[in-house]
Amino acid sequence: MASNAAVPFWRAAGMTYITYSNICANLVRNCLKEPHKSEVISREKVHFAFSVWKEGKPLKPVTRSDSPQE
Amino acid sequence: MGVLPGHVATIAELKPGVLSVHEGNNVNKYFVSSGFAFIHANSYADIIAVEAVPVDQIDSAAVQKGLADFSQKLNTATTDLEKAEAQIGIDVHSALNAAITG
Repeated sequence: MASNAAVPFWRAAGMTYITYSNICANLVRNCLKEPHKSEVISREKVHFAFSVWKEGKPLKPVTRSDSPQE
Repeated sequence: MGVLPGHVATIAELKPGVLSVHEGNNVNKYFVSSGFAFIHANSYADIIAVEAVPVDQIDSAAVQKGLADFSQKLNTATTDLEKAEAQIGIDVHSALNAAITG
């Protein structure tokens, strides 16, 4: 049986919709005129911490951030 | 795709491109990065997008540069993922270009 209805090229390459949508949004943000560009450029930035859990206990938390460490 | 009152309830996936909103004789054009349009049975429509900007906020020089950059990247891409990313870049910048010149 042939594959289901043609998948979009990004899904065929292993990308999820949310990754695709965020890439598109970033590209649009980078193509704006000032001052709009400076206002929105921070929307892309993420800052979060997570811990891997092992045997019911969290290990040391790891912080991922786009903003410079203060 | 045009939506008037009484449109059948629809969920549509949007590609990067221009969305025109007509209010009376007023037309506002927005560039939508991608997303969905939900048209409800009571003639309300919702547009869900990560980024939607008025078309006059788009910088033409940045668009041309982006288009050239990603066309270049597509030629040098090796893995499927790199090719997909380059293709997305080309699609988005082509749509941006059409929006500012259209």
